[in-house]
Amino acid sequence: MQPTPTDLTHPEDPADGLAAAVALRRLADRMEDAQVERALRDGWTWAQVAEALGVTRQAVHKKHARRLRDV
Amino acid sequence: MFERFVGEARQVALQAHSVAAGLGASSVEAEHLLVSIAGTQHPAGAALREVGLDSTELHEAIQRDFERVLAQVGIDASGVDVSSNCRRTKLSWGASAKRGLERALEEAKRRGDRKIGCEHILLGLLRAEHGTVPRLLAAEGIDRAELTGRL
Repeated sequence: MQPTPTDLTHPEDPADGLAAAVALRRLADRMEDAQVERALRDGWTWAQVAEALGVTRQAVHKKHARRLRDV
Repeated sequence: MFERFVGEARQVALQAHSVAAGLGASSVEAEHLLVSIAGTQHPAGAALREVGLDSTELHEAIQRDFERVLAQVGIDASGVDVSSNCRRTKLSWGASAKRGLERALEEAKRRGDRKIGCEHILLGLLRAEHGTVPRLLAAEGIDRAELTGRL
């Protein structure tokens, strides 16, 4: 059965909901890591990546540049 | 905080940093201390391995926990590696690890031990009611009270 939006934000047990909130932050981080790398490989500039993420160029560079310096 | 820790316990705390760094975590958490203890020759490490929790199994259990927690809110994260290749330069102690270490001090006090060893850290971690460690232990079918009794 497909989960409804209500299921997403209101699991029955708060322990499940709180654990999911933590895991979602981690999932978002992993997604950002992967997609920044992909964008750079596709020729995006740091400025474009920053704009798409809604952060400053400095912020995105500080977070990812060291890891992705060879991209 | 670490002045009363014996050498092995300091080593476990130090190693937990490497475990967290290896997983690309931004902070050192209770589960990283658990993996670190599982890798030691100390009896606390042996106790974990006897119930099937060596460090490889724990790494897999952490991944399964991540996927299961997200599945409960309808998100399929299978195949999304919980660990990241993002290397943080400086890792801080996360709240769950700090709480575990505080509980280790309490456990030592309760037992009348002056020094903090690996067994106290493990006892401290086993006292948590919420978070990754108790959740993954439950999922792996580990009886926390029974494991506590072994230490």
